[in-house]
Order: sequence, then structure tokens, then C-alpha cells
Amino acid sequence: MAAGTLYTYPENWRAFKAQIAAQYSGARLKVASTSPAFTFGQTNRTPAFLNNFPLGKVPAYQGDDGFCLFESNAIAHYLSNDALRGATPQAAAQVLQWVNFADSEIIPPASAWVFPTLGIMQFNKQATEQAKEDVKRALTVLNQHLNTRTFLVGERVSLADISVACSMLWLYKQVLEPAFRQPYSNVTRWFVTCVNQPEFKAVLGEVKLCEKMAQFDAKKFSEMQPKKDTPPKKEKAGKEAAKPQEKKEKKKEEKKPAPEEEMDDCDAVLAAEPKTKDPFAHLSKSTFVMDEFKRKYSNEDTLTVALPHFWEHFDREGYSIWYSQYKYPEELTLTFKSCNLITGMFQRLDKLRKNAFASVILFGTNNDSSISGIWIFRGQELAFTLSEDWQIDYESYDWRKLDSDSEECKTMVKEYFAWEGDFKHVGKAFNQGKVFK
Amino acid sequence: MAVRELSSLEKYLGLKKPNKYSTQGDKKNNNGPPLAGLATIAHQLVKEAERPELLGDTAESRAVVHQWLEYSVTKLDSYTKEDIKIILKDLSLYLLDKVYLAGNQFTVADTLMYYGIHPVMVDLTIQEKERYVTVTRWFDHIQHHPGVRQRLPPVLIHRNRIYMADTIEI
Ligand SMILES: N[C@@H](CCC(=O)N[C@@H](CS)C(=O)NCC(=O)O)C(=O)O
Repeated sequence: MAAGTLYTYPENWRAFKAQIAAQYSGARLKVASTSPAFTFGQTNRTPAFLNNFPLGKVPAYQGDDGFCLFESNAIAHYLSNDALRGATPQAAAQVLQWVNFADSEIIPPASAWVFPTLGIMQFNKQATEQAKEDVKRALTVLNQHLNTRTFLVGERVSLADISVACSMLWLYKQVLEPAFRQPYSNVTRWFVTCVNQPEFKAVLGEVKLCEKMAQFDAKKFSEMQPKKDTPPKKEKAGKEAAKPQEKKEKKKEEKKPAPEEEMDDCDAVLAAEPKTKDPFAHLSKSTFVMDEFKRKYSNEDTLTVALPHFWEHFDREGYSIWYSQYKYPEELTLTFKSCNLITGMFQRLDKLRKNAFASVILFGTNNDSSISGIWIFRGQELAFTLSEDWQIDYESYDWRKLDSDSEECKTMVKEYFAWEGDFKHVGKAFNQGKVFK
Repeated sequence: MAVRELSSLEKYLGLKKPNKYSTQGDKKNNNGPPLAGLATIAHQLVKEAERPELLGDTAESRAVVHQWLEYSVTKLDSYTKEDIKIILKDLSLYLLDKVYLAGNQFTVADTLMYYGIHPVMVDLTIQEKERYVTVTRWFDHIQHHPGVRQRLPPVLIHRNRIYMADTIEI
């Protein structure tokens, strides 16, 4: 049975597919959707994440065994059981058929229709009318199919139902008002039954069907527009709602909003994130390239290469060096617990990695240990005060800024970076070191 | 109908000791007063089997379950050809927007209705099955529910319309 973690932003219908599949199969799935475990727009751009998931997109799944997957349909498939995937070759193929139907026949027009009502896309009358027609076509196909059937494939819930129902969540919540959905009663009966199965409900909560078709939300739209001074978004190929569809393209040439004005649901989530402005933005450019040093430290000998490089390039205006010491050494018991204390702090400071480096060492043995370290920070202040997320651990440490020209500093940097030396100020033997980089 | 349907229900519930009923459909309750009526007995059996979810998961669906149990008892015990038409029309209309008889889950109401209506479904022509398409859909779903059909012959359902679409009757 699969067990692992699903990275996503909260309330992501693509992630729901995997979460519901896991409810049915009993796969043990942890969802990482909020800080500190996962912050959309940040965690998914870190090298560590990109190393496992080259697109940097979510949902993304990592098994406890290290197995990694991206693409929501693949993840949902993996977390399913045989009954959900379709037990015969025919059933499995039919499941695939409906999963693809959801992606290619429902999602594009649904996005084009719904996004303007959420204020995340400019309204364009023709585009919306075309989208409504396309949604009707998909609904007609489903309605016909469900006339004689309870579920999409076979006589029980499958991944087909999960995928198609999740792809219709926004439609049913936002725009499919009773009059509009009336001709498609088989679809609504099926949809309501699906979302009320305990396994769906556990993930979706109560799904309230639209009572009145939502219209373009102009106010929200203007609020959501990226400010002029924000850096341009990277190219988004294959954006679902903006997918070129030849026949439509011809019709709406005249008044198509410029593509940079358009957002999709991903951008909307990003825009809605509380603005964590870059806390180091006010600092002028430094000549010390942290990444360069980290590469040297990771790949080459510390004493003969990394340290000389550090002192040659260190910029005392742009950076500061700090000595940290754990305030409560008497509380440190088993060494593995003490190590977790250090690595836990590193994890919580994840977003600081670009602007900091540290080597923190556990000294001593079980029930007689201490923790101290050397930190290099961008700027002259302790970076922890710059963001609330970073303050969890820092109060448990004493912090002392070192004069980078002093002998004391040179010695400490050398000993802490190399994990060897007298460590005179400590009085306990080196046990193990951890590096924040 | 009572005895046959109740013993099917007992089997479905996996209760071990069959044939506890008198021919009047009364069940001798070991440590309580005799119970009367199919609906009450069905309730009792479900409780005995510790499958309370089969009685409905909300107060509302529990009431609906009870209502359909009563319906099965009163309407499907003995009936004329005319009665059958009315029953099928009732059900057709009711099942238009529903997958199960009560709420969004399978309940004992579906089981007993299935046992009760099985003889009717066996005799329907293809056209009639199309005319009562919502009943047919419901029936097919229930006969595929694990453990429900037992020894009853499966009723063949055609998925693709053979006759005209506008003959659907509700
Ligand atoms: N086809 C993919 C779509 C995934 C996707 O587009 N994810 C968006 C969020 S809605 C994302 O993570 N975007 C982040 C980025 O582009 O940096 C799937 O179904 O998983």
C-alpha cells in the first residue's frame, strides 16, 4: 500500500483527485499544503523540490520510499486500488477515456467560463458564450451516458468518477444554476451522489450546488492584477484556459485580452498568498556570492579550498557572521533528539537558505551536551526578525555578532566549518555537525 | 412476499441462523415481545447484524428508509398488472434524480425493494425496461451490489437505446 506526501496548495481540485483515490484505497497520504511543510510559490521553486519534480508544479507526490510523481492523474492512478483503476483491460481503458475527457473536454471550457467569475481572468463575452456551448456539449455526452448508468464505468465508483467530478467542481459551485443544469439531470444526480460518498466528503467537505450563475467579478479582477512593478511572469505554455482552439480563435480575434493580463487558477492562488515581500530587498547588491561559496564548501576540501575562498570573497558590508549557542543545554538528552532539534530548525528556516549559511555542531554525549554554531547572514541584522516564520527557534539561542576581522572569528569560522579544532570555548568533544546551506 | 425476502436479507447481512420467521412474517424475538411487520423485522435484522449504516446515515434518510420499507411491504406483497404499472411509474419518477432510494448511500430499502421487484423486472420487455429507464438503471446497480443478488437470476439490461428515445415514461 502506497504511503507518502502530497504537495499542493490548499483546496486544489487536482490534488483532490489523488486525495479521494487514497480515501478509497486506504493509501496513507499526508497532505503538505501549508507552511512550514509547503508554501506554494516558494517551496516548489527550491532546488530540492525541482530536483524531484522538474516542472516545479503541484500537485506532486513523494512516497515514503522516495518514489516521486508529478501530474495529478498519474498520482491519483498510483494511489488507487484495482477497483478504482478498472479491474479488466476494458474497464481500465474506459477509466482512462473519462480521465482524458475531463482534461480535454471539460477543463478548458470550464476554466474559460468560471475564471472570470472568480475575478482571475478578464471577461470576454464571446469567449464565455463559446465556453458555455462547449460545456453544454460535454454535459450532453455525460447525460446520455449516465441515462442508463449509475457511475461512469461499471457499477461502482472508479477513478473516472473521481476525475470527472473533480473537474466539474467549479462548474457546479459557480455557474451551473438550476435552470442551466435542468436538461442534464442524469449528470447532476451522478455528481451529487459522487460528492456525497463518504470518501469524497472526507476530502471535499460539503459541496453546495450553485443557486445563481456567478457573473464576471470586475472588482476582484482589478484587485488581483499584478502590480506593474512586479517582475514579469515566466512564460506559461499550455495554459489550460488559454489553449488555442482554432475554431474559437477565429471568432474572437478582435477582442482577445492580451495574454499577460490573464491569470489562471494557479496564479490566483499565488496572488492570494499573503504578500511575503523579499525581506532582503532593501540591501544593495553584494560581491559575495553565497551559492558560489556553498558549492565550494560542498564539493571541495574545506581547509584548503572553501575557507580561503570564503575569506577572499567575504563582503563585510553585505553580510554578517554570528555565533549561536543553545540556551538550555541542560534540557538536551539523547543525541539523536538534539540532532532533530537542529535539523528541525533548518527545515523551518527553509526560505532563508538563499541568504544564509550555517554550520551547527552538537558537542558532548547523551545527557551532557551543548549546541552551538556559526551563521553567515545577508545584511547586518539577525534575519529572523524579518519574517514571522523564522522566529520559532531563534529565541532558544543566544546570538552574538562576531567581528569578521578578529582572530576569534577567524578561528571559530575555521573550526565550525571544518568540524575540527580545539573548540576551546566549548569544553566538550565534537559529536556531530549539521550544515544549513 | 415477506418470508422469502427476509431470508434473502438475512443472507445478505450474513446472519447465521435462517428461517426464524413464522409464515405470517413475524419473527420471534428471543428476549422481547414478538415483532410484527416486515419493516420492523428488517430493522431488527440490520441491528442484529450491526450494520446501522444500512438504515440510513441521517435522520432524514432513516425516515425515508422506513417509508420505502413500508412501501415494499404494502405494494409488493401482491399486485395486479395495473398495480405494477403504478409502482413502476412511482419509482421511475422518484429515481429520476436519485441513485439510491434513501440519501446518497445504499440502504436496506434498496435491498428489500430489489427482492420485492425482482419478479416484476424479470418479466419486463426490452421496451418496458427502456420506458422505465431510471428504475432499470437503479435495479442494475443494486443487482451488482456485492452480496445482494444471491441465487436470483440476473436481469439483462441493454445500455444502448433500441427503441425511440421519447418513449421514456416518468
Ligand atoms: N497537468 C498538471 C497541472 C499542474 C499545474 O498546472 N500546477 C500548477 C498549479 S495549478 C502549478 O503548480 N504551478 C506552479 C508554477 O507553474 O510555478 C496536473 O494535473 O497536475
